[in-house]
Amino acid sequence: MFTRISDLDRLFGTMNLLQKRLDNLYGDYEKSSGYRWGFEHTAPRTNLYENGDNFEIRAEVTGLEKGDLNVKIQGNYLEISGQRKPDAPENYKTHRTERGIGSFSRSFTLPADVDSTKVEATLKDGVLYLTLPKHEAAKPKKISIS
Amino acid sequence: MQRRIVMDRSQEIAKQEEKNIEKTKELYKATPAVDIYENEDEILIYADMPGVVKDDISVDIDNGTLSISGVRKLSVTGSVTYEEFSDVEYVRNFSVPQTIDVEKVEAELKNGVLRLHLPKSEAAKPRQIEIKTA
Repeated sequence: MFTRISDLDRLFGTMNLLQKRLDNLYGDYEKSSGYRWGFEHTAPRTNLYENGDNFEIRAEVTGLEKGDLNVKIQGNYLEISGQRKPDAPENYKTHRTERGIGSFSRSFTLPADVDSTKVEATLKDGVLYLTLPKHEAAKPKKISIS
Repeated sequence: MQRRIVMDRSQEIAKQEEKNIEKTKELYKATPAVDIYENEDEILIYADMPGVVKDDISVDIDNGTLSISGVRKLSVTGSVTYEEFSDVEYVRNFSVPQTIDVEKVEAELKNGVLRLHLPKSEAAKPRQIEIKTA
């Protein structure tokens, strides 16, 4: 049985390798296959970090402009939606299109309420960074020992 | 030939399994999704590389092979609640025709999308031949 994370990691690695080999056999050399073993989503992939007074969310939103994104927050509910517009140049012949377009929406329930007035959002290099300060009641408190 | 390679590789994996060495965490390699367009003047390649900064991208053309590589380095602050993407190296190779004017290749990066302009050399462009009346 699998007892260590490295074993699982190796298993996934082997499955990916097999998939790659099969892709190559069928002539799709180096084409990014639609499916990979592991964790994949159609909505943007997201990371959540917790940092004392703040939550930090990062989401992969490749090719989106500021105006294409919507972020909604209410209490501990967060919704990120957006639309990726086609950026194909005109008067060009198309050889290959792998980059997806279209709209997406993803919602999260955060571990605690956040102060929606102090949320900061930045978009940099195709990654959305959200800094969400926790609501006063949810902030960590230092307790002095008497 | 192909099968032979597959066999060799699977034996290699089996061997690794026996040894069961704790491996160091290596940078995952990913294939970026690309769009390729072409017109009379140039070939255009769009590649999705979210989170990669300009300085960590390298584009090389050598002997008819175009290779792009971009490393994403994300600094983690605080504890991780969950993580769906992490540091990764985007790698992809293409065969490009010899008619590309290597000197004039241009690359731009915007919102995590790498755009490569590969202009065709003058000799390779289609030419309209004017017919002279005798």
